Amino acid sequence: MEKSDILEKVREILISILKHENFELRDDLVASDVDGWDSLSHMAIIVAIEEKFDITFKLKELNKLTNLGALTGLIQSKVSGS
Amino acid sequence: MIFNSLNFALFFTIVFLLYWLVFNKTAKSQNLLLLLASIFFYAVADWKFISLLAASGFVNFYLAKKIAQEEDESKARKFYFYSGIIFNIGVLLYFKYFNFFIQSFVDLFNYGGGHISFTPFHILLPLGISFITFQLIGYLIDVNNEEIEPINDQLGFFAYLTYFPKILSGPIERVKNFMPQIEKRREFDPGIAMDGLRQILWGLFKKLVIADNCLAVVDVIFNDYGNLPGSTLLIGAVLYSIGLYADFSGFADMACGISKLLNIRITNNFAFPFFSTNIGQFWRKWHISLTSWMMDYVYTPLSFILRRYKKTGLIASVLFTFVLVGLWHGANWTFVVFGLFHGLYFIPLILRGTMSKNEVIANGKLIPSISEFTRMAMLFLLVAVTTVFFRSNDVFEAFSYLNILFSGSLLSIPQDINPGGNLALQHPVVLIGLIGSFFLVEWIGRCGEYGLANIAQKYSRLARWSIYGSIIFLIGMFMRTTETPFIYIRF
Repeated sequence: MEKSDILEKVREILISILKHENFELRDDLVASDVDGWDSLSHMAIIVAIEEKFDITFKLKELNKLTNLGALTGLIQSKVSGS
Repeated sequence: MIFNSLNFALFFTIVFLLYWLVFNKTAKSQNLLLLLASIFFYAVADWKFISLLAASGFVNFYLAKKIAQEEDESKARKFYFYSGIIFNIGVLLYFKYFNFFIQSFVDLFNYGGGHISFTPFHILLPLGISFITFQLIGYLIDVNNEEIEPINDQLGFFAYLTYFPKILSGPIERVKNFMPQIEKRREFDPGIAMDGLRQILWGLFKKLVIADNCLAVVDVIFNDYGNLPGSTLLIGAVLYSIGLYADFSGFADMACGISKLLNIRITNNFAFPFFSTNIGQFWRKWHISLTSWMMDYVYTPLSFILRRYKKTGLIASVLFTFVLVGLWHGANWTFVVFGLFHGLYFIPLILRGTMSKNEVIANGKLIPSISEFTRMAMLFLLVAVTTVFFRSNDVFEAFSYLNILFSGSLLSIPQDINPGGNLALQHPVVLIGLIGSFFLVEWIGRCGEYGLANIAQKYSRLARWSIYGSIIFLIGMFMRTTETPFIYIRF
């Protein structure tokens, strides 16, 4: 799957959970830059991503994520590995 | 040796001079001084547990290195990791919760018709144990998750663990925030030092003027709550919430300020929590280092495991996390109920899907809108109700207090409470004026790190020094003659 496709789907997920579009999908985007993306909403976003891409994350993998670029990279590696 | 004592002022003056004039050549010498000063500071407070602190430090220092040496997911790595976690939790359970759990089990057994008696063991509580243990558990988890490298510098590790501004009442400082600062030599920065002094002054005002006076009135009300009307008990709960906040955040300001004088930044535990409109926001601003610890090491793993249960999983995770937040404060069911209430307050937010809504109050405006003010006031009252559990000796006393509070006498005229002492304690209107001024300063400075943080940029030198002078005058006028310890020193 192309990175742009992944980003588009992640964007849809973020909008549906955070209820706004006030963010720009850059690789260096971090959760604290996005209004409402905190430890409480984070898990809802993760579940939505798992369901959308039919993948499963490990907690350790999630703990190492530093920004959106790392998240899309992880999704890409999982999608291409499955 | 509490921060607002003359003994501490003398101790810190000596440390400050040695730190910048004698031990200032290398990072190592600075850290050595910090370690020696911290050991002295802890020994004065609680010399009996110096050996426990040292043993606990050595065990964690070596286990972290062993964890990092072993292959990820290997049995040896898991063994070292879980041994460390069990060791730390074991120390905490033994010293803090042993009697509580046995007594609760005995009570439950006897309630079901059994007949066993239990005499609690005489176990002394090491000062600062909850803060120290949580730092160590967090350290091992971070090393195991490969988020940080284990610390190889033993001196630096113990300087971090025992650092005297934070050892007794936090913050629960993370290795990744603290260690990079002490790995290099620190240089004196007059700007940061001045900011530190300003923050200490604000912390002293919070503690000596607001907290101590509020809590003096609270003591009278709680000690005689059965004979007082609901309206007075409401004042007691409100004043306790304000007093608790001023006491703990005053301590946090002093700890941060003292640390800035050594050019080391530690986490400020508070960010104006009463200027929040929902409970999620409140906890992002109240005891921040504990909340973020609980979020990272309890809530996140738990909600990850329960993530397929959607909102039910989130609710279960939040409830468990906040019960643990409550229990962290002490071995008493009052704290469990305190935490449970806060967990329950989250449920409407989770169900509405607005749990993470992080609105900025009165963004760019001088005063909040009526809607914002109403929601802030409602949240304050909801929190005030839970602090009755925090203050009461047992759960029955707390429910009895609330039972009277929510009775018809809530609408009666409050009884005059006069604990005796300074003007603020003799005349309620003076205390109300002080509290009002306190919140006004906090409101104006709410975008800064603490109430007075931004005045250097906003006001002229004359205005700034007039403010400092006024605060010193108020402290001199309204501080109580008896020395009162910080509430959170018990935890």
